[in-house]
Amino acid sequence: MIVDAHLHVDNVPALGWNMEAALCIDRMDEAGIDKGIIMTIVDAPAVNPEGIGLIADACAQYPDRLWAFARVHPWYGARSAELLEQAFELGFKGLKLHPVSTIAHPSGEDTLRLMRIAVAHNAPTLFHCGDEPMTTPLAVAAAAEVIPEAPVILGHMGGYFHVDEAIEVAERVPNLILETSAMPYPAKIREAVERIGADRVMYGSDGPVCSPRLEVEKVRLAGLSVEDERLVLADNALGLIQNVKRG
Amino acid sequence: MIVDTFAMVGDSLFGPSTTPEELLDVMAEAKIDRALVCPARPPSYDLVPANEALAAAVQANAERLVGFARVDPNVSGAAAQARHAIGELGLSGIFLHPWEETFRISGPSVNTVVDVARDADVPVLVAAGYPWLSEGLQVGELAGRFPTVRFIATNGGQINVSGLGQIDVELAMERCPNLYLQTAGVYREDFLENVVERFGADRLLFSSGFPSTDPRLEVQRPRSMHVDDATKAAVLGGNAVAMLGLN
Repeated sequence: MIVDAHLHVDNVPALGWNMEAALCIDRMDEAGIDKGIIMTIVDAPAVNPEGIGLIADACAQYPDRLWAFARVHPWYGARSAELLEQAFELGFKGLKLHPVSTIAHPSGEDTLRLMRIAVAHNAPTLFHCGDEPMTTPLAVAAAAEVIPEAPVILGHMGGYFHVDEAIEVAERVPNLILETSAMPYPAKIREAVERIGADRVMYGSDGPVCSPRLEVEKVRLAGLSVEDERLVLADNALGLIQNVKRG
Repeated sequence: MIVDTFAMVGDSLFGPSTTPEELLDVMAEAKIDRALVCPARPPSYDLVPANEALAAAVQANAERLVGFARVDPNVSGAAAQARHAIGELGLSGIFLHPWEETFRISGPSVNTVVDVARDADVPVLVAAGYPWLSEGLQVGELAGRFPTVRFIATNGGQINVSGLGQIDVELAMERCPNLYLQTAGVYREDFLENVVERFGADRLLFSSGFPSTDPRLEVQRPRSMHVDDATKAAVLGGNAVAMLGLN
């Protein structure tokens, strides 16, 4: 089994991007991926107040294939918290945060409030983690250290130039999980497994427009053991979402 | 024919040191026929012997390797070094690395070196996408200043795991018909597909980025594009054959 922990469904006319659930399924099938976790490109309620509903509807189209994460903008106070709670009531499995679009620092109180809601639902928080300010591994780790019971996923595990830093900080901060999407170095997946353990490295593609097929191949080229590869490609994601509570 | 339009060999100050033989081995594994190869930045900082060593390796493997001379425009005599490398050493183009040599690609320091490329009618390969020094529009500025020179930008002209630099690159591509992009490590296959659709398949070239990125993965990146087989063949090698005059 393969679980893709990072996929997008959204329609963003301003960018000319229309990523439908059917496209995700098509790309998943192309790559031999069984299940995927989808989230919007934009943040609710900021650009699209209906983002949670959009993702819920997409999952309803493919109930055996897709799970949902809620991408929420931390700056909307009670409305942000309410949206996240609604998402969990609908069966969402996690929180997605993207400081590039929100410019909300991971360690800011607005962000931490949402992360604590996720923790209360036994849910992980996935951060975009790349080379941009506010998204670097050290910036995200600052939030993870404040809430050590929160599973915090570094999406893209540091991007292009912060991958070594991602591995280093994950060695120090035990509630960090490295997610492999878009980062182009198969050898770094292996290194991460060797240094922090296969149970904290997780496959994602950032698809459908990053090729899930290529991203799966990247994990395979890391040359992991059969057991480690299974953890990375499926079991870690399943483990993170299996105990998420609705209420 | 599959042609990798960017690999580096030699002792490296910044990353893994590799030999031409190691490159040839990985080319064989990835079923890459030929490679455009440049010197890594040597620990001695002296590019003259690095270019000489590269030329010797290319001569010894003329059916497999094509060499570009690496020139640092900051040093006195850079233009003379470029002329010597193209003339006496028989190298086929010039490689500029603004990040590792620390100069702005659009600044005046590169002009005398690019003059040499223009006069010899050889391409200029630019390590592109690095912040402040070789951003997409900066590479475009240089390409606009030298409209008869073919400029090839590594990394799809931009390095960002949010895709933030892609619109700049598309602007540069629109303005500069003499600007070409490489595929290694590029975030999002739909960006590559869009380059083909908007600017033509001949403007995109497969590259591996060896040794920073893995040829075994990177050769699959053009294959992951949802384009027709003729386009894939052009990107994977046909464009390089035409540009570099390969048999």
